[in-house]
Amino acid sequence: MTDAEKLEIRDITRIERIGAHSHIRGLGLDDVLEARNVSQGMVGQKDARRAAGIVVNMVKEGKIAGRCILLAGEPSTGKTAIAVGMAQALGTESPFTSMSGSEIYSLEMSKTEALAQALRKSIGVRIKEETEIIEGEVVEIQIDRPATGTGQKIGKVTLKTTEMETNYDLGNKIIECFMKEKIQAGDVITIDKASGKVTKLGRSFTRARDYDATGAQTRFVQCPEGELQKRKEVVHTVTLHEIDVINSRTHGFLALFSGDTGEIKQEVRDQINNKVMEWREEGKAEINPGVLFLDEAHMLDIECFSYLNRALESDMAPIVVMATNRGITKIRGTNYRSPHGIPIDLLDRMIIIRTVPYTEKEIKEILKIRCEEEDCTMNADALTVLTRIATETSLRYAIQLITTSNLVSRRRKASEVLVEDVKKVYSLFLDEGRSSRILKEFQDEFMFSEVLDDKSTAMDCDDH
Amino acid sequence: MSFTNWLNKIKTAEKSSVINRRNRRVHYKFHDGQEMTEEYSMDTGVLQRRVWKRENTLGGEPYWEVELGEKMRSLNNEDKFILQKAVTEPVLTKRLTKNNLEWRIRNLPYPFETYSVTATPEECCITVRTTNKKYFKKIQIPELARCELKPNQQSISVQHQHNTLIITYKKPQLLLEMEKEVLIVLQSVDTEADDYDKCTSLLKELMEKQ
Repeated sequence: MTDAEKLEIRDITRIERIGAHSHIRGLGLDDVLEARNVSQGMVGQKDARRAAGIVVNMVKEGKIAGRCILLAGEPSTGKTAIAVGMAQALGTESPFTSMSGSEIYSLEMSKTEALAQALRKSIGVRIKEETEIIEGEVVEIQIDRPATGTGQKIGKVTLKTTEMETNYDLGNKIIECFMKEKIQAGDVITIDKASGKVTKLGRSFTRARDYDATGAQTRFVQCPEGELQKRKEVVHTVTLHEIDVINSRTHGFLALFSGDTGEIKQEVRDQINNKVMEWREEGKAEINPGVLFLDEAHMLDIECFSYLNRALESDMAPIVVMATNRGITKIRGTNYRSPHGIPIDLLDRMIIIRTVPYTEKEIKEILKIRCEEEDCTMNADALTVLTRIATETSLRYAIQLITTSNLVSRRRKASEVLVEDVKKVYSLFLDEGRSSRILKEFQDEFMFSEVLDDKSTAMDCDDH
Repeated sequence: MSFTNWLNKIKTAEKSSVINRRNRRVHYKFHDGQEMTEEYSMDTGVLQRRVWKRENTLGGEPYWEVELGEKMRSLNNEDKFILQKAVTEPVLTKRLTKNNLEWRIRNLPYPFETYSVTATPEECCITVRTTNKKYFKKIQIPELARCELKPNQQSISVQHQHNTLIITYKKPQLLLEMEKEVLIVLQSVDTEADDYDKCTSLLKELMEKQ
């Protein structure tokens, strides 16, 4: 295969990147909420998963507002994984906002405003709306990147129905939507003209014979009829935050795309709340509460905690799930110590789910799943060695070794990873434990070691 | 088949009117909360523009839906467009004359035989089709709907020149009567003249006084 050919293939579908939790597809529970041992990418942690399943059911019922759940456990015991699993189990209809505790610290926005926005992003409103949509089959799509690499992309798309055909110029934001949805010629799509949302309805029947093999989830649909542009009544879910932004006069609709929404006045929020209640009473809208997931909750400070205390009492509050890996530690912004670094009054309003360290068997399962996810064939012995490494050092470190050892084995032109490959990368990359041991041993040879030697002076500096 | 509904709507609406250059602009506030603005030419008495104020479901700035006349162009949002038709695509414009309704579709380079223009009474519209499946449009005719008429094929005539398809629909007698009645109603609306000649003379007077 020549280089040019390789490049072409890459351009059509960009490689999906593999994230730390991309193997998780749900909570792995059965119909009666019992946790299956290995399912949907989840392993072990049965009690925590069962508890999370109950929370998911509570959210789906949508009756109870403003509950708080804390996922507490040691590092790398699957807290974030459970949260991701919850998001997947909730599906696309319920909003799931995920943020890290440190994300609220910004110079452009106050901490409480960031929290308020996050809370409102987690409440969905299902509403019927007449919008202008464009519905058609993609005949041709062309997206040009400027030669300099940066700057505006230029996009064109040709859409058709059974009766007509039209060329459209694409704006910058919608190009991103097209790329995210991986729209190709032959897809039947709808574009919401106001929001720029692109949805793929399926592939056109006329293109059914383009490929010999299509995925089981490929849907074939008829090419639409009549005019491309039509008014249609659609039911969609918008978040309270989106309605806030639309109604805060200074921003307008386009601020949703650029992301710089700034602060939103409380009066606007109150107005929206009233309006949404009105819609609900008239039967025009339905409230669809979701989940706000706050990772690293110990990074929030005392002001945020007291704000949350208050905010959770509102009947428009979502279910808040927090995760922390801290034990008894200082509450940020105070000198007081408290379990998980969270004040007792907030802890009192929470139900706490504990995650426990994985057993060796479970670690092996997780590593197996990750190997599959990272497209790496590993020999059984190598996997045992890797499991041993994971129990001695950490699960995260062992996961890091999967792709690296895969690359080493590929250099040998081998089809699977053997023990020697794992050994090789184990010697090439240090884990945290070995690295600190080396640091302790050779402390004197590193820069500025003499300053740190004198511990008492260092402490003095800290105090003032 | 009558226009009493529409005429009543016009009669009961809160109206205000202003003269700007050679145009008379009338603003209507209907009982159901809708708002509409019309612009009549002072020379011919023909309606040149009609826009409706529409609210978004989710709130935010209301927008004006253009029924007749040129689309409003926003000057500052040009670079932030989401998606727009390419400049080479067909553009439909509508115009009223004394006796006809007229539509022009520019950027249609195909020969005359390609087009078929038919009245579709069930949907109260005119349907434009092309045999090469490049263009298709259902043109709504709210004027006819207001006097509860259906379009008929005999009133349609079609021309094609300079890449433009011109569709002319002869106004039925009832529509002509309706327009006349509306103009009579409008005669009694107080009109503020925003007269440029007056302004300049006033300015001159003021300057002489000083």
